[in-house]
Amino acid sequence: MREILKICYIKKYYGMDSNVTKAIQDISFSVDEGEFVGIMGASGSGKTTLLNCISTIDTVTSGHIYLDGIDVTEIKEKEIARFRRENLGFIFQDFNLLDTLTISENIALPLTINKISPDQIDRRVQDIAGKLNITDILEKYPYQVSGGQKQRCACARAIIHQPKLILADEPTGALDSHSTQMLLSTIQSINEELGVTILMVTHDAFSASYAKRILFLRDGKIFTEISKGSDSRQSLFGKILNILTMMGGGVSDVC
Amino acid sequence: MYAKLAFKNIRRSLRDYIIYFVTITLTAALMYAFLALGFSQDIIAMSENMSMLTSGILILSVLIAFMTSFVIGYAIRFMLGQRKKELATYELMGMEVKTVRNLFLAENTIIGGCAFLLGSLIGTGLSGLLNQLVKNIFDVPHTYRVFFSFQAWAITFLFFALMYGFGMLRVAKVIRRRKVVDLLYDSQKNEEYSFRPVRWRILDTLISIAAMAIGAALLAKGLHIQSNQAWLYLGGACLLIIGGIYELHRQFPFLLYQFAKRNPYRKYKGENLFFLGQIGRRIQSTGRTMAVVAILLTVSLATMFVGLTTGAGYKANMEAYYPYDVGVAIDAPLTKDSMEPIFSFVEARSAVADSVVFYLYSVPDVPIDALSLSDYNHLRKILGLSLVSMNKNQFLIHCDTWVIRKEFQKALEQKPEITLNGQTLYAAKTPIMTEPMEQYQMAGTEGYVIVVPDKIAEQLSENKIRLVMKLENDGYPELKGELQRFLNSNEWRPKIQTGYEWPERVTSGVTVKAWGVANSLTGFTTISFCGLYLSIIFIILSCAVLAFEQLSAIDKNRNNYKVINQLGVPVQKQVSLIRKELSTIFFIPLLLPILLTVLLIFGAQIYFGEAILQEGLVPLYGMITILVFCVIYFTYFGATLFLFKRVILRQEMR
Repeated sequence: MREILKICYIKKYYGMDSNVTKAIQDISFSVDEGEFVGIMGASGSGKTTLLNCISTIDTVTSGHIYLDGIDVTEIKEKEIARFRRENLGFIFQDFNLLDTLTISENIALPLTINKISPDQIDRRVQDIAGKLNITDILEKYPYQVSGGQKQRCACARAIIHQPKLILADEPTGALDSHSTQMLLSTIQSINEELGVTILMVTHDAFSASYAKRILFLRDGKIFTEISKGSDSRQSLFGKILNILTMMGGGVSDVC
Repeated sequence: MYAKLAFKNIRRSLRDYIIYFVTITLTAALMYAFLALGFSQDIIAMSENMSMLTSGILILSVLIAFMTSFVIGYAIRFMLGQRKKELATYELMGMEVKTVRNLFLAENTIIGGCAFLLGSLIGTGLSGLLNQLVKNIFDVPHTYRVFFSFQAWAITFLFFALMYGFGMLRVAKVIRRRKVVDLLYDSQKNEEYSFRPVRWRILDTLISIAAMAIGAALLAKGLHIQSNQAWLYLGGACLLIIGGIYELHRQFPFLLYQFAKRNPYRKYKGENLFFLGQIGRRIQSTGRTMAVVAILLTVSLATMFVGLTTGAGYKANMEAYYPYDVGVAIDAPLTKDSMEPIFSFVEARSAVADSVVFYLYSVPDVPIDALSLSDYNHLRKILGLSLVSMNKNQFLIHCDTWVIRKEFQKALEQKPEITLNGQTLYAAKTPIMTEPMEQYQMAGTEGYVIVVPDKIAEQLSENKIRLVMKLENDGYPELKGELQRFLNSNEWRPKIQTGYEWPERVTSGVTVKAWGVANSLTGFTTISFCGLYLSIIFIILSCAVLAFEQLSAIDKNRNNYKVINQLGVPVQKQVSLIRKELSTIFFIPLLLPILLTVLLIFGAQIYFGEAILQEGLVPLYGMITILVFCVIYFTYFGATLFLFKRVILRQEMR
């Protein structure tokens, strides 16, 4: 498998002099094309900081991040926006859909920003909506649909422009258990059927159990990592719980 | 403790308060400055009718205070909206609703108090300028002088307290009734759009345009009616035009938005989809406000233009309204000797250089006065005009009123001859003379007069007598009153011509140029300054409402721009989108007001341009109106854009 993301010894420190917070301390790992990687850890472990550094929303203090061979940390300020719109897709906990646009228009937004021909836009929106089973809500506004539907719309928006990497930040955080399960199945099928590479940050063991590989962060460092391999999802879930217990997580991390 | 908290809150919310503070400071400053001008003894003493200015400004101040109270209430509610979570937190910590309300009101009282004091200070400086401006109009020697009028200050304070108190009371009611849960989660509520079929909106738009067209037709008709019925037409016209503007501004932006969205090439081009979404929401949520702002702007622009142009036109035309130094008109067949004591009375007060006593002759069966050629030429001589001559079978029309002149031209083209007492007279080589001669009292009573050879005139009835005098100096305004008192006293005993009878009712009139000029300047000052006062404050209030509307959506907008930032839209593009969004919202309510003002300027030029003796005066004041408006409007737009960009693009918020 081709290596799509490579993180080399990155550090991210906040503050100055005696008041320094080390959010990330010397993290290195890589993600292959088509992989579904979960990143777990307690609050303050550096999960979101790591995701922000990869997504160019934040900068690293030292180290390098390569996406498909391009060093993200070296990209000039002017080029960041273009890099982001061409290579990355985002799924957020609070959906981040624009309430000013319909579901269909929300999904089409990355295509218009990427200046895709208008002839193709509607066709591609219909296509992706069909795959994510949201065709019948395309003309509705975000406030007219359920949380689960909103998040599937966010998934469609994240993948419609065929980015190299999807970054998901606690995508199930605002969903009920039924919607969570449906969304995770959707993300899994996006990964398996469309071959999209996904990096998902979560503190929820159940959500993480859908990934193929899971990295555990603690105090800004990789504590350990596990792969699903040929195990069942239930078995992976059990392994995750064990590691969380080992890391000092409580019952809240298990539910 | 609470006072400290209130002060700290003000400092922290400076961003939200700044436009509000500037608006009420400017309102207070303008109110004080104009009231101080109205109450200034220097100014009131300038002419006997100058109290018109005081009354005008006082009446307008009531209207302005009433309108401002709504804007203040609106602004305070906007700030309440920005700080709902903070107020909810106070309540969650155990603070009583009454205390929270008092804290919020204390903050606003501090801001209002500061704005009033600063406004009074600025207003004091401004009133000195206005004072100088009026003295300049009256050609009175002047220097800039700052003076404080307690009377004006007290009235400004009263109005300010009333409008501020009214606004605060409404907000206090809102705080008292709002539940903590609403305060906490209001911002998370979804904005719901109302969807009205496009065909209904098109129908509404067409009805609005029809209403405005009918309004314009009624306006045109009303302007040509001389009776009280005109008010009915003008009132109806205003209602229809205002209603049309309101509804058109409610529907037209939505149709434009639908039209832009309908074409996929336009909709999906670049960042248009995002932009259209932003605009669509604003049109839905602030459509009513924008429509009301459009009405306010239309009223403001029209008031400013009409005020300035009418005032300036009044000044420019005063020479035409008062061409003679002194004129006395008695609508009775008096003997010419009867006018001798009047002449002596004037000469005793001001040396007379030239004078003429003449009759206005009645033409049988036609409502027109006639003037003999010799008297006409004497009047021309007094006015410094060239003399005219004609054959003994000719006539000419003197008409300085352009509306009637056109009818005469048409009639003379069709039939250039008249029959008078059985004699046929033909139109002279130059059949219509147009110089200003004051033709509603002195040289005619209908706005025109027919000039005939002396021999023809002698055969007509001498029903009205006139005395016109040219003075060595310009005379003085009080001469008019003195002369009127003399005419009404027993000292003057007029005699009737032999063979004539005293009419049932004798109408008399006195015209004195010095008095007329002083009062024209009063009219000019009153109309122009009242127009400026009302319109500038209305423009400020409209701009403030638009600015608050934009700033109230700032948090939602910040999230939306954060999303497109994550989707890879460069910051420069985001800046351009913000500018485009704000420009659209600021300029939608401007579409019709500007169009109507331009039409008004053109219409005024076409209909009244000829009547105003100073050439180019209408376009000049049209330009001044648009310029003043643009300065205020663009200042508010710039300030809102600055705040908007600062908050939305702030790095730490992303």
